[in-house]
Amino acid sequence: MAVYKRRYNPYAGSLTPEWSRFFVLTRYAFADLFKARFFIVLLVFSLVPILFFAGYIFIANNKTVQLLMQVRSADLFSVEAQYFVIIMTVQTQAAFLLNCWVGPVLIAGDLTNGALPLFLSRPFSRADYVLGKFTVLGLLLSGVTWVPGLLLFSLQAGLARNGWIWSHLWMVVPIVLCSAIWILMLSLLSLAVSAWVKLRIVATGVIFITFFVPAGLGEMFNAIMGTIWGRLLNFSYLFNIILARGFREQSKVLGSMGWNEIPVAAAWGSLICVCMLALVILNARLRAREVVRG
Amino acid sequence: MNPTIELNELEVQLGNRTILHGLTGVLKSRAIGLLGPNGAGKSTLINTLLGFHSPSKGSARVLGIDSHANGRALRSLVGYMPENDAFISKMSGVRFVRYMAEISGLPADQAMERAHEAFVYVGLGEARYRPVGTYSLGMKQLAKFAQAIAHGPKVLILDEPTNGMDPPARKRLIELIREIREASDICLLLSSHLLRDVEETCDEVLILRNGQIASICNLVEERRANRKFLELETIGAEATFRSTLEGLGCECAVFSNGRIKVVMPENIEIREVFKVAADKGVQIRRMNHRRDSLEDIFLSAMEQTGAPDGRL
Repeated sequence: MAVYKRRYNPYAGSLTPEWSRFFVLTRYAFADLFKARFFIVLLVFSLVPILFFAGYIFIANNKTVQLLMQVRSADLFSVEAQYFVIIMTVQTQAAFLLNCWVGPVLIAGDLTNGALPLFLSRPFSRADYVLGKFTVLGLLLSGVTWVPGLLLFSLQAGLARNGWIWSHLWMVVPIVLCSAIWILMLSLLSLAVSAWVKLRIVATGVIFITFFVPAGLGEMFNAIMGTIWGRLLNFSYLFNIILARGFREQSKVLGSMGWNEIPVAAAWGSLICVCMLALVILNARLRAREVVRG
Repeated sequence: MNPTIELNELEVQLGNRTILHGLTGVLKSRAIGLLGPNGAGKSTLINTLLGFHSPSKGSARVLGIDSHANGRALRSLVGYMPENDAFISKMSGVRFVRYMAEISGLPADQAMERAHEAFVYVGLGEARYRPVGTYSLGMKQLAKFAQAIAHGPKVLILDEPTNGMDPPARKRLIELIREIREASDICLLLSSHLLRDVEETCDEVLILRNGQIASICNLVEERRANRKFLELETIGAEATFRSTLEGLGCECAVFSNGRIKVVMPENIEIREVFKVAADKGVQIRRMNHRRDSLEDIFLSAMEQTGAPDGRL
């Protein structure tokens, strides 16, 4: 089918492995994302706090700089679990904002003009499709949560010496695990919204609503029923509990608000339920078949 | 060699509705047309062959591959052009086709090359860098066609490919389809409302009505049989005229207002019909001489009533 010959020739070349084809979706989505300046600004904005956190770790481990800054209290610059809770809290919020921008367009663009049957008429399953789209958010949000979290942990380990790494190695688990559940929930939720709502602005609104309206309803439920279980609908609260417990800390912010904490297992269960619900929605919406008339 | 399509008691239900009622048939030709009125089940059959619908009973095979049990293997052979809009509006045409080719498994560089070739081949070379969303309806059809052929499939499934195309564009697309069919060993399944499209591109037709097979007809054999028809409008002694013609070996069907359809055997010339008419004092007011067309086959299939084996 060479251009100059203008005739059809069957393809007889090599093919890529089937398992790797989901990544084509990821590659194309990233190419589209990086064309948008706003996305680049948002991404840089999400990474800026890392520089401040790294600077803090540098100062905390450098007595000379502390002397120059005339810092006398040794506790002022302390890099312990509490500090990593703050890092993860800030970065997961940045991930939330990034997700609100990127997530809504990932599937909607394919559904708007019925492109889904074209994907699924190939050796490409719905699971491959969701995996390809999920990988976009997974890589992106990893890049602003656990990856910088581990880099900061490594920086602290490198600068602190004196066996700090061995006494704090357990923190690697909550850094990765807490980020993972947050990324999983955000990604699946925004993919589900993207599969339902085609307009970006509306979809972004729906994602915000998903976080704030159930939380409000849960508090109403608590007030009426005199219980704490309504907080199972407050996803940010649940994540804070998982994060604080993961780093063996009390959730001080929540404590100061006079809230009793619900069990961490219930928090995990609730977030996993949200993920399952998002998968159910995706399963319902991502169908290749067209409308059958008559 | 495996038949192109093999249907074995295929029944498909969507919700509580049975759309396809136990279809059974074997289609061996390389180019198969799928005909039927709206709601006959053509798109459902295509979707079932692609593995989008699971049969509630029976099975469907394409080139010997079960569409349900081995859907992925089957889809690796298929190029599909859906009936409805199917594109990514913000992507340029060539990028869209390249994207689809890569998902089919072509390496990025090959996909790029084939996407350009497919676009030039379908006649959209000049428009390939424009977003697909800005294309006219006919151009979108061609872009869909380009994505269906870019990865070099073995089975090409085209659902209403000429929808929304002006006559020259339609003619061009039909030529392309014929050319592809002749230039390679590709198998073609073409669903259309337009009998002419099917007649010009296919060797065999499957006619569906109300989810049942109304007819399976091998057009090549029909063409070879070369049966001649006379459509006459007469005034006068119809009954004797008809019986005399039948005595000569013709088959006759008499309709209202003196219209007679005569199937001519090979050894009878038209002048003999005139001679009989003159002998019997019958005036022939109009005569139309033609061969059996797909339209006749289609209309005849539509007129028949159903039988319990899934055929009408």
